[in-house]
Amino acid sequence: MRRARPADSTVRVGARYPTRPVLDQQTRLDVSRRAVEAARAAGASYADARVVAREHETIVVRNEELEGVDRSLSEGIGIRVLVDGRWGFAATARPEEGEVERTASLAVEIARASARLPGEPVHLAEVEPVTDTWATPIREDPFVVPLAEKLDLLMEASRRMRIAPGVSFGEASLDLYRQRTAFASSEGAAIEQTLVHSGAGIEATAIGEGEMQRRSFPNSFRGHFSAAGYEHIRGLHLLDEAERVGREAVDLLSAPECPSIETTVILDGPQMVLQVHESVGHPVELDRVLGMEESYAGTSFLDLGDRGKLRYASDHVTITADATLAGGLGSFGYDDEGVPAQRVTLIQGGIFQDFISSRETAPVLGLPSNGTMRADGWENLPLIRMTNISIEPGEGSLEELIADTPDGILMSMNTSWSIDDRRVNFQFGCEAAWRIRGGRLTDLYRNPNYTGITTEFWGSCDAVCGPEEWQVWGTPNCGKGQPGQVARVGHGTAPARFRGVRVGVR
Amino acid sequence: MPEPLGRDRLAEIAHAALEEGGSGGAEALLLHEWGGLTRFAGSAIHQSTAREETMLKVRVADDGRIGIATTNDLTAEGAAAAARSALETARMSTPDPHFPGFAPREPALEPPDAYDEATAAAGPAARAEAVASAIARTDPAFRASGAYQTQGTEIAVLNTEGQACYGLTSRASISAVVSGTQGGAGFAEAAATSADEVDPAAVATTAFEKARDSESPRDIDAGIYEVILEPPAVATLIGFLSYLGFGGRALAEGRSCFSGRIGERLLADTVSIYDDALSPEGLGIGFDFEGTPKRRVDLVEDGVVIGGVHDRRSAAMAGTESTGHALPAPNTEGPLPFNLFLRPGAASRSEMIASIERGLLVTRFHYSNVVHPPEAVITGMTRDGTWLIEKGEIRHPVRNLRFTQSIIEALRDVRLIGEQTQLASEFFFEASRVPSLLISAFSFTGKSDH
Repeated sequence: MRRARPADSTVRVGARYPTRPVLDQQTRLDVSRRAVEAARAAGASYADARVVAREHETIVVRNEELEGVDRSLSEGIGIRVLVDGRWGFAATARPEEGEVERTASLAVEIARASARLPGEPVHLAEVEPVTDTWATPIREDPFVVPLAEKLDLLMEASRRMRIAPGVSFGEASLDLYRQRTAFASSEGAAIEQTLVHSGAGIEATAIGEGEMQRRSFPNSFRGHFSAAGYEHIRGLHLLDEAERVGREAVDLLSAPECPSIETTVILDGPQMVLQVHESVGHPVELDRVLGMEESYAGTSFLDLGDRGKLRYASDHVTITADATLAGGLGSFGYDDEGVPAQRVTLIQGGIFQDFISSRETAPVLGLPSNGTMRADGWENLPLIRMTNISIEPGEGSLEELIADTPDGILMSMNTSWSIDDRRVNFQFGCEAAWRIRGGRLTDLYRNPNYTGITTEFWGSCDAVCGPEEWQVWGTPNCGKGQPGQVARVGHGTAPARFRGVRVGVR
Repeated sequence: MPEPLGRDRLAEIAHAALEEGGSGGAEALLLHEWGGLTRFAGSAIHQSTAREETMLKVRVADDGRIGIATTNDLTAEGAAAAARSALETARMSTPDPHFPGFAPREPALEPPDAYDEATAAAGPAARAEAVASAIARTDPAFRASGAYQTQGTEIAVLNTEGQACYGLTSRASISAVVSGTQGGAGFAEAAATSADEVDPAAVATTAFEKARDSESPRDIDAGIYEVILEPPAVATLIGFLSYLGFGGRALAEGRSCFSGRIGERLLADTVSIYDDALSPEGLGIGFDFEGTPKRRVDLVEDGVVIGGVHDRRSAAMAGTESTGHALPAPNTEGPLPFNLFLRPGAASRSEMIASIERGLLVTRFHYSNVVHPPEAVITGMTRDGTWLIEKGEIRHPVRNLRFTQSIIEALRDVRLIGEQTQLASEFFFEASRVPSLLISAFSFTGKSDH
């Protein structure tokens, strides 16, 4: 067995960051302000600029071998302007004198080109411009934790996953992100923010005759992420669960297929993350409702007039968007338009209440922005993105919910997701399922999946577990927009039960 | 507008990094992209962007250990700093017993006519004009949306073995969705090296006609249907099959749907699939992200699965040579083919339709995803134009359906292959050049309300 050890055992500090940002925080803000001035001088009626420096450290270990460590830095500026009521956006990786001014002029030129075509001029919702700083609260800077310590953790997790005979791959990964942003606008906003996100996870794969099964912890798709420092990684207790994860992957190989039936389904917390994300989070994005994403990700079944009227779900379901939630990947001080973080009720007791919006879209409802615009780095323009979209807890433990279910299926952790372009018909796959009989978990099933129609499915929810089961999870891979952008968003969920669900689609 | 930095400038930057490499050498991957993308929705431009981005990824080997660092600072100091970071990481890492070494010196062929200067230099006015010509082809009562993009890309890979590759490409592309007033929708797309070869008006016309012809779609039961899949829908099948089946590492590790099945006739004997980055009919570059020259690889020949593609690591595992399909390091997926071709057949569209007693015509799929990797089962939705065919004629549009289907079984049941091919993209994959397919049994497992 090989273990992670530094080549030079005296090296016990984290790697310096030779690829650390070129600009310091004050310089970043100065550059943003200069870009805004340049855009105004070129003819913009409104301008904002973001100088962003992003660091990412990723480590993957598989079968006790290091697959790779990559430390990356990307730094640049994105400048957004309004000219004659039309947007222009330009970005450059070289936030230096001359290039910033050229890029600002290009943004104005783009807006002018767009204005040659007919279209409704953009009117921005009012926002109070602020000067402020904000940072993710962290207890332990994850970037200075020694690489050797991180490798030790992942190597040991990988080893423990493979204790169970039959595990083909035991993979452990860790991802750390830090983003420093300096935002300035022509309205006078000047905001500096530092966001830190940390995540890790393990995944065991077992391969048999014509079959391959995976089991993950704490969640699939690279684990459990939080707006936190390395204390989050330490709190995951990856090693405690690794052997079980490996064993369950092997057990799944010989488990029967999930039957094709209509039954009661309980989704665990991680699968509820996916369910909320795809069938609530995306449909309530106001840009989708207005057709702005129609050609790519699609639109929404929701209409503007559905606010306060549409029964989206059963009485048991209340869902919020909360950018102030501690630990949420969608938490910040201000969005990328300088709008302060907010908590908004999206669904109250099953009735649809509100969309998530931006300064451009909120005026169609006669409302201010509820602050959900975020950009993927400096190189993309901000879009409406989920913040932390959470189902509010109900009552009772998962154990009690299972005990209250005479016959049904418990599904755990997502493997696959697909939903139509109006977010109506969905089909989601999970890693594992257990049959519930007489209020107890019995047979293990492999390849479970379920399908439904969004409002019918949410309407069938008759129980959501309580605060003791409720947890804030992170989704690090939410895609949207053209050019494609990836956002890290949060979801607070608890296990929930749904009636009359079609499972085992083949 | 930004311009190419050029082979020599990229080499200078690379050498600044390579000089800081470890005892086992180093590799520098450089990427420089510039261009703009203009999105339209509701028949107006709503998001128009331009950007210039750079990337340097340095991979260093030191005493059998590998370290990687990535930066977008392409100054000599930035490149050297990235290399030092990679070396520092390597020295704190564990040895990689499977590291096959950096690519040896070997010339890479370039695809012909891969770069059009005017396309790479196109400005916002040209993009707005292209969008305007697309919108003009749509009935004012209908909504046009989509994106028009022009881009220039430089990629260079240099290493301490003396390998030095440089590729310069351009691309223009448009995709359009037109939506009607009674639930109709249509889609079309085009991509080429030169904007002169992309006709936004023609693309929009096709999308509009589909939207017009799919107004007032009717409900139809899910079930097994004979289907004609147009190229964008076929690209979904081929793209996912590429991901699930043709990676050399996945094959060697038993993760591929073709693991242990190489040499078997699993698909219809009319089906041949290959990867060819050098084809003038594709949009490839001549080398991979390790600097290995790309070569054409036959993946399926007359229905028989031949094999997969390799990077240096998977090639060593399989006891063969890299085919030039490495992805940027680090990745646990291994190599993948991204320049796929499905060999055309001889059937015309009208012949295909006329041969169907009862079936469906599908424009494209939406948001597809893997259900069961070993059997290459995926699920997804139809979108932007689906019609019922009865007795050899298109009867009426139908509402969108969900499919859940093994790609292997679908390609086993191919009855006719179209004579024309088209570059078609998939939501998550690069463009493939594929024809339409007539498949005798395709499983639709659910339906939507539109």
